[in-house]
Amino acid sequence: MTAQEFKNTILLKRPRYAKSKIPVIEAFANKGQSKSEYSQFGPIYELYIYAFRLGLKKGLKLPLPPRNSTQDFIEIGKWKRDSSLVDFLLMIIFSYSEEIGFDWNDLEDFDDKELNQVVSNIIEFIESYANGGLQYLQEEWGNDNLINSSYLFADLMNE
Amino acid sequence: MASIINSIAFKNFFNYYGEFEDNTYELEEGINIIVADNGAGKSKFFNAFLWLFYDQVLDSDTKQKISIKNAGVKIISDKAKNETAIGDYVKCGVTLEYTSGTRYKYQVIKSFTATRLDEKVTDKNSWQFVMNELEVNRTELVLHKYKPVYDEVEKKQIIDNLIMPAFRKYSFLQGEEVDDIIDFSKKESIEEAVENLTDIKSYEQIHELLDEFKTKAFKDLQKQLKANNIQNERFDDAVAEKEKIEQKLEHEKEKLEQWNETLSVAEKEKNDLDKLYSNAEKRKELDDRLKPLRKKLRDKNEEFENFLDRINNRFFDGGFAWIAMGFENEVDKFRELNDRYIEKRYEKKALKNVEDNPNEYFHFLPENSPDSVSLKNMIEDQHCYVCNREAKEGTPEYSNLLKLKNRTKDKQSEKPFVNNDLKNFFGDLQINAQPFYNKFESIRDSIIKTKEKEVEIRDNIEKLKKQIKSIDDDRNSILIAGHDSEHSAREVISNYTGAVKRMENANNKINDIIIPSVNKNRKDLKAINDEIKSLNKSNDIPDGFNENYEVLSDLEEASQKAKERVFDGMISLLEEHANMHFKNLIKNNDLSGGILKFEKNLNGSINFNYLDSKGNSVYGSAEGFQRMKKFSVVMAIISANNSQYNYPLLADAPISAFGEGFTEGFFEAIGDVFPQSIVLVKELYKREDEMKINELGKRLLKDKKVRTMYVNHVTEDSEQIDLVTTQTKLK
Repeated sequence: MTAQEFKNTILLKRPRYAKSKIPVIEAFANKGQSKSEYSQFGPIYELYIYAFRLGLKKGLKLPLPPRNSTQDFIEIGKWKRDSSLVDFLLMIIFSYSEEIGFDWNDLEDFDDKELNQVVSNIIEFIESYANGGLQYLQEEWGNDNLINSSYLFADLMNE
Repeated sequence: MASIINSIAFKNFFNYYGEFEDNTYELEEGINIIVADNGAGKSKFFNAFLWLFYDQVLDSDTKQKISIKNAGVKIISDKAKNETAIGDYVKCGVTLEYTSGTRYKYQVIKSFTATRLDEKVTDKNSWQFVMNELEVNRTELVLHKYKPVYDEVEKKQIIDNLIMPAFRKYSFLQGEEVDDIIDFSKKESIEEAVENLTDIKSYEQIHELLDEFKTKAFKDLQKQLKANNIQNERFDDAVAEKEKIEQKLEHEKEKLEQWNETLSVAEKEKNDLDKLYSNAEKRKELDDRLKPLRKKLRDKNEEFENFLDRINNRFFDGGFAWIAMGFENEVDKFRELNDRYIEKRYEKKALKNVEDNPNEYFHFLPENSPDSVSLKNMIEDQHCYVCNREAKEGTPEYSNLLKLKNRTKDKQSEKPFVNNDLKNFFGDLQINAQPFYNKFESIRDSIIKTKEKEVEIRDNIEKLKKQIKSIDDDRNSILIAGHDSEHSAREVISNYTGAVKRMENANNKINDIIIPSVNKNRKDLKAINDEIKSLNKSNDIPDGFNENYEVLSDLEEASQKAKERVFDGMISLLEEHANMHFKNLIKNNDLSGGILKFEKNLNGSINFNYLDSKGNSVYGSAEGFQRMKKFSVVMAIISANNSQYNYPLLADAPISAFGEGFTEGFFEAIGDVFPQSIVLVKELYKREDEMKINELGKRLLKDKKVRTMYVNHVTEDSEQIDLVTTQTKLK
């Protein structure tokens, strides 16, 4: 696999979220639709990335339930196109290679099957922390701990 | 002997909570000013006079005067009501003291008692009212003790003496009511004023009497003529002709009356619309100012909405990169891993080369070391400068140098040493992601700045809203009570021009057609009368009948002219006085000198116009100016009177539409006309000032004509139930 092929393998993946998180996603990502009383993100991936960051920073790793209790959305390659956002995300993710369980140099020796496994692990890594972050938001929201302000998410990052 | 009000006091009357002693205003001869912001008891103060004189108050909700009996629950202080337990009662009243002349002082007290029956304080069914008997007391000035007056007729007389009912309309000025005091389009209105001021009524009676005598004298004469000259056909013809002319004249007069009626209706409409017309124009001007501001506000609001909507975009926009906040360690870790990866990778490559070509150790050398220029020199010199040893052509050392020089070419044919070459994958990530991790330092600042920007836009919006509200308030204050605010400006303007057109039309009819015709008939009538007279001469009738008729004719004409002279004289006197007051009122304004002009219409009504310096009528000026004009006439009616005006002026905010220059003129003018003025005014109030009055207020405070000045206060931001008006005496 070349560098580009490897990257494409990742970019073609569609991370999943648990169906139990649909309410929180509908509340905080408007997908260009109507507004809610809370500050919102636009597309789902924005909320997803935010939730991933929240989960990662708070150490909230929560594996997804079995596949038919989950749902996917657009592939990573289509997240904020023409932007380096995804590159930055991958940079963060690859800095956690030890936790995900691979060595950078080993990747170069793997065969395609082994590489695909690593990519799967990476996606699972993203999904578990995003799920943890969404779970946190859902609980805070349910407990009325979220302050309804335009800076809700900026302020939440500082906590 | 002028009536001077010495004091007025309130007990639980509207916001004037508490006993009479807590709410007493001591007043003096001259000007008394009570300064109060909106809601600080101005109209309530004025209402006390309405109660005293008319047993009425002005309902501030409906702008209607209602009987005190029906007002009941509304006029008692809410605080007092609230403090009254069920079954207990509260008293509400007004007391006034005045002197008239040098001997007596009077006290008038009106009050009622309300017993609380139920829980709901403001519900009128929760209260039972009992009007207390009117108390009137009198004392001689040298004594101190009041003695009650028991006789009801005398009580009424004492109240009437304070301000005679016929003059109250000149003494009571409440806001816009100045406009309604004199309606110039109505003949009766100005006549009433003239009647109040002159003995014109007796001239009228004399004239009527003489006209009657004259008609009778002619009939007597006619009888005599007929009896004495039966065959004189010429005489009969003349009389018949005379009757014909009289009929025609009568007919023309009827037409004149009809057209005068039309004229007066149109004139009244025009006058009614005068104020609205100028307001319509002013409102249009304000609307023109409001329009762009409203648009700006809409744009700003939209900008604000967009701004708020986009705040979360800043997490993912490379220009802000908020999402990167807190990832410093991860980026360092990535770099560290990348360095290690490159290093390991290099080792791996070198080892692989060693495995493939165990004899070529230079693979351990970093690329380009030594550089190609040095290598070239070494080959040419056949000397290795790295180890400083000879490397003669043909020796292994020499061929090693050659191999080193060619190694780049070899590299192109080099075989891959890993399955998956990911060097560029990691390298590109690090290069591409720069916009995000370069922002670490500035993210916190960026969030703060965004918040500041929000405050800035919000402030802008607030400022715009305030601006709009202020203009809107002005706009609303232009509307006159009772007029529908949706009364469209266009409609007013079109009605106004319609009325002016009808006036012109009627005037043309009257002046160009009817009046000439009337005059011609009159001339004909005089000629035929002369003819009849000369026919008489030839007849044999007693002289007494002829003389009697002639004398009465002359007297009738003379009395008619005398009446007109008195009327005209009074009108020109009023005009003179009105102009005098008007000049005083506007002297602090940069209004260029025009004059007020009274012109008599043929129907007897008075045209009242403001002429500019070139003699042209000025229509539709601003409301304050219109009011100023009329107020000048009110004062003229008072000052043109031969005797002194003996009653106080009680004025509630008559100057709200005047503007500061007028306001100053107003205070100067009233001092000359009224022996005592009690003026309730908001325009002098200034919240931020320590004394709560503005610069003009301070100037007036120093003016020796101003004898007392009070400022009313209300507790700020308090509930209606706690609202209490208190006062400070500044002078």
